[in-house]
Amino acid sequence: MTAAADAPGGQVPSDGDTAPVIEARNVVKRFGGTVAVDDVSITVARGEIHGLVGENGAGKSTLMRVLAGVLAPNEGEVHVDGALLDPGDTRAALDAGVSLVHQELSLVPEMTVAENILLGSTPTWSGFIDGREQRRVAAEALKEIGVAVDLDEPIARLSVALRQFVEIARAIARKPQVLILDEPTATLTPAETEYLLDMLTRLAGRGLAIVYISHRIPEIFAICNRVTVLRDGSLVASKGIEDLTPESVVEYMVGRDLQLDRESRRQDPKIGEVVLSARGLRAPGVNDIDLDVRAGEIVGLGGLVGAGRTELVRAMLGADPRTGGETTITLQGRTRRIVSYRAAIAAGVAYIPEERRSDGLALTMTVVDNIALPNRSALSRAFVLQRRRIAEFATSLAEAVNLRPPEIHREVGQYSGGNQQKVVLAKWLGREPDVIVLDEPTRGVDVGAKVEIHRLIRELADQGAAVLVVSSDLPELLELSDTIHVVRDGRIVGVLSAGEAEETTVMALASGQREVDAA
Amino acid sequence: MSQTQTDPRPPSEEQADLSTSDGLVARVRLILSRRTEGRAVALLMVVWVFTLLFEPLVWTSYEVTLGRIALVGLVALGLTAVILMGELDLAVASTLAVSGVIMASFDSLAVGVLAALATGLIVGAVNAFFVVVVGINSFIATLGMLFFLRGAAFVISGEAPVRIADVDAGIAFGQPVIGPLTPRMLLFIVAFVALYIFLSHVRVGREFYAVGGNRQAARDAGIPVVRRVFTGFMISGFISALAGVINTLERTAADPTAGSTVLLASFAAAIIGGVLLNGGRGSVFGTLIGASALGMLQVALTLSGVQVDVQNIVIGSVLLLAVITDPSSLRAAAVTARGLFRSRSERQPTG
Amino acid sequence: MTPKTASGTRTLPPAAQVEQELETRAFKLSEWMAQQGIFLFTAVLVLFAVVFIDGFASLPNLTDVFNRAAPIGIVAAGMTFVVISGNYLDLSVVAQVATAAVVLIAVTNAVGLVPAILFAIAIALVYGIVNGIAVGVFKANAVIVTLSTTFIGLGLLRWLTGGSIYFGESDGPIRTFGTTRIGPLPLAMILFIVVTVLLSLVLTRTNFGFMVRAYGSNREATRLAGVNTPLVVIGAFTMSALGAMLGGFVLAAFSNTAVSSMSDGYDFRALAAIIVGGTSVFGGRGSVMRTLLGVVFVSVLTNIMVLSGLGFGFQQMAIGLLIVLAVSVDALARKTRAA
Repeated sequence: MTAAADAPGGQVPSDGDTAPVIEARNVVKRFGGTVAVDDVSITVARGEIHGLVGENGAGKSTLMRVLAGVLAPNEGEVHVDGALLDPGDTRAALDAGVSLVHQELSLVPEMTVAENILLGSTPTWSGFIDGREQRRVAAEALKEIGVAVDLDEPIARLSVALRQFVEIARAIARKPQVLILDEPTATLTPAETEYLLDMLTRLAGRGLAIVYISHRIPEIFAICNRVTVLRDGSLVASKGIEDLTPESVVEYMVGRDLQLDRESRRQDPKIGEVVLSARGLRAPGVNDIDLDVRAGEIVGLGGLVGAGRTELVRAMLGADPRTGGETTITLQGRTRRIVSYRAAIAAGVAYIPEERRSDGLALTMTVVDNIALPNRSALSRAFVLQRRRIAEFATSLAEAVNLRPPEIHREVGQYSGGNQQKVVLAKWLGREPDVIVLDEPTRGVDVGAKVEIHRLIRELADQGAAVLVVSSDLPELLELSDTIHVVRDGRIVGVLSAGEAEETTVMALASGQREVDAA
Repeated sequence: MSQTQTDPRPPSEEQADLSTSDGLVARVRLILSRRTEGRAVALLMVVWVFTLLFEPLVWTSYEVTLGRIALVGLVALGLTAVILMGELDLAVASTLAVSGVIMASFDSLAVGVLAALATGLIVGAVNAFFVVVVGINSFIATLGMLFFLRGAAFVISGEAPVRIADVDAGIAFGQPVIGPLTPRMLLFIVAFVALYIFLSHVRVGREFYAVGGNRQAARDAGIPVVRRVFTGFMISGFISALAGVINTLERTAADPTAGSTVLLASFAAAIIGGVLLNGGRGSVFGTLIGASALGMLQVALTLSGVQVDVQNIVIGSVLLLAVITDPSSLRAAAVTARGLFRSRSERQPTG
Repeated sequence: MTPKTASGTRTLPPAAQVEQELETRAFKLSEWMAQQGIFLFTAVLVLFAVVFIDGFASLPNLTDVFNRAAPIGIVAAGMTFVVISGNYLDLSVVAQVATAAVVLIAVTNAVGLVPAILFAIAIALVYGIVNGIAVGVFKANAVIVTLSTTFIGLGLLRWLTGGSIYFGESDGPIRTFGTTRIGPLPLAMILFIVVTVLLSLVLTRTNFGFMVRAYGSNREATRLAGVNTPLVVIGAFTMSALGAMLGGFVLAAFSNTAVSSMSDGYDFRALAAIIVGGTSVFGGRGSVMRTLLGVVFVSVLTNIMVLSGLGFGFQQMAIGLLIVLAVSVDALARKTRAA
């Protein structure tokens, strides 16, 4: 290991020391035909906290995984201390002193804190675990970040926040020169976040280079020296913090010439009575939410990934257990409490889940089978499926959603993402739902299909359905919604009407940069 | 103390303070709450009470009881290593049978024993190959192996029990050597201690928990998962073969149909002992307690004149009960039950 | 504002295209093996038997093959529902077949045919519901659950019967059923075909069969489509139990006797037939008709071995191997499909 290996041990950087510890040059990373990171170069110096910001899907996580050697870039290279890093070799990156704190926790629940901190590099004495050394190193790493936790406690018994800190201790125990954190505060309370930010400043003060990925603007301004903004995979700005303001960062992140297709927006929609209503809804990640969706209205749920939007809609419909509150659906003057997911479906709800491949479709089955699944009772007589009716039904729906090619006997898995999503919509359209809840309806969908899906959603609302859309795609959210609710930390932090909503306002609310009269 | 006392402000929970007056109680409670052997202990208690009341012979003729526990427990120990990694080894019973037959078909006892143990290792390696290299579910791969080996035992033995070459050695093997302990019990104790040390103090063994608890994390941390799975299956194969050798020696003949009850009892011992079928949780202590409970239960039933068929019913029920009272099973059932209850109450509209 | 993530803005370099094409070709081969291989293998096996095995192509031998295939085939047809639902298999058919056989003969002797059948149906329902609840509601592992119900069931049967053999009346309805032929075909064979067609229709044409297939393909998507998934699992195990019951009836009628050990090996023969037929052990893909083909394959293979003087042990080895190989092909097909 290099001399800087013991950097966190108390070495204070001299002011003039700005030689980069880690440098990425012209990195390009493609997934299939998608370009996730396009020709991005960044450098991070010793003692620097470098903020990496961008919207959902801007390419932050991909870039970070390239830096940490988890992914091999298609073009470009990564240098640590001037030496070229073997692309895609996690081990080499670790040995060079690049430590990554994952977004998803990568701890082993039944192992103890000490064991997890040294997982993969357990100190041994001819094969036997050197328990004392293990505890010593673990204790030192925990001391380094200033967290007190029982070394013998299994991870499964720790709070989510403490697990996050153990994860950081694990990265620190490897004596890194560069520490990369991906959204470390997503699951933390304000007090815990504050503690984490202090800790990072302290670590940087001892010479550690830190790459801090977050879409929470206040955190960026609290600790970062430099900020790089990514948008759609490209670098749009990389500046010292003194040259930036929260507003300018948000502009860089959103950055489009706001040529919103306002024409395609619905002109004076006919909005009726409240149909879908949640009161005091609680569930893991959902804190006491009230939400109303009216007939003919499209309500958009904006916010960052992990803000609790998916949890909110799933708890609302009973797809996941809730811990408190209730949901009702009122149709033709009759109010029904939604007490289970099947009750919601029976009451006329259609739910298009976020994960199309794992939750939305039976990929090994045909289009016609997938469309028939929620409609099976209507399409069978005395428990026997009426195949001709089903085929006609599926054909007409495939036509309605413009499935291309419209081969209803093909396996859904063979279709592209956009067409798959059309199948998901088609299967629910057949039920003529009164309430339709869509979670990221156009993620991973090509532009053509996106336009068609938007058209379908608008038509549904025009026909009087109550529509609730979760979307991380800001232009989509603004284009579709009549009302936008912005969610942060499991709470609704702002309600905006179609007219007043701008990308920057939504982003500012979602990232906590602005606290608004949450009505 | 296992605390790192540094910053007093950090975001830790109240449970950290164990040094106050309630410290000892809290500590004990904490240690208990970390254990996974609860159900096995409960079963053991029930068995104790019943045997003390109705069949004290279980205690007085403790050599029989200990022998039975060793029989059930040995295979269960090997199984524990595999289940900890989130895999299953259904081939244990047929490995036991086939290795016994192989051992008996050699003229030299020593060569036979070595060949039998090698068979166990090879069977384990083949199982692991299909599971981690080909990518078949371990239930199905080892089920195929179960049938294959059961057939092989028939073929090698000519469908009849095979006498071992040196019958005297077999008879001697059944005699106590230290106090009341026969070689079987000693070997069981050795296997238990070795596996305990391996799984808690040897890096390779301890990493089994990581492979079972969070396989992706294990891979990310640089743990050679494929090698660990091979090791686990080979341990299980080896221990099953060892059990086959012991059975064959004690009975002075190898029975090609041996082991069908062992399969059931060893699974029951491991699962009721708190070894999670999905992997990552459990201990050899749990398995030991489970095996003790089941062994005593079997002896008590035998001594009370209950036939083998009824014993199978009892042990089958224990296994069924053990899988459905697993915490995750209970949670799944609770969710379903809530759904049922609620959909009924939903039929009365509130407005 | 068009993000570069839209597909088509960048075309793949030629090398990647070639790679993709190669992958497609590999995909086709293993896919073909997993899906259509059974037709070829069965044909080759039968041809081989006709040419090389003395006595295979005689009418008495073929009748014997079909007589033995009938009970296994009916059991396998029912168990296909469990496999397609993604729950691996139902080991407890061994106990169920023997129980049904013993109940049919013993209760008919004691009380009468109709009570015997009703009693057997009740037992089958209990098996289906117990296995189904443990797997569908408690989400317990199907292999372990059915392993324990096998031991409970066989234990009960042996305990209550004392392992004795029951003989049917020499001129009773069971005997008549077992010996009747329509043309050259034994009645059991016809029942097997009827059951297969019927279960095939249930799986492909009914609401229930559809839900079983959907559940096996994707549990969560099926639940989110509003399906009562625990009921689907209970239903699948009940179909398996009813198949095992009918298989037990046929087996008992065939020899007009019943004993608790008569169904040894039915678990893995049925599973081998299902998997070799091309039904995926990972759930979602397969059909009862394929199982029929698999039964033919396994029966012919067993017959060849018997005629060649290879005993029960060799048959078990062959079938164990067959299961592992068939699942390996399936697993490789899945891997290439996912790539």
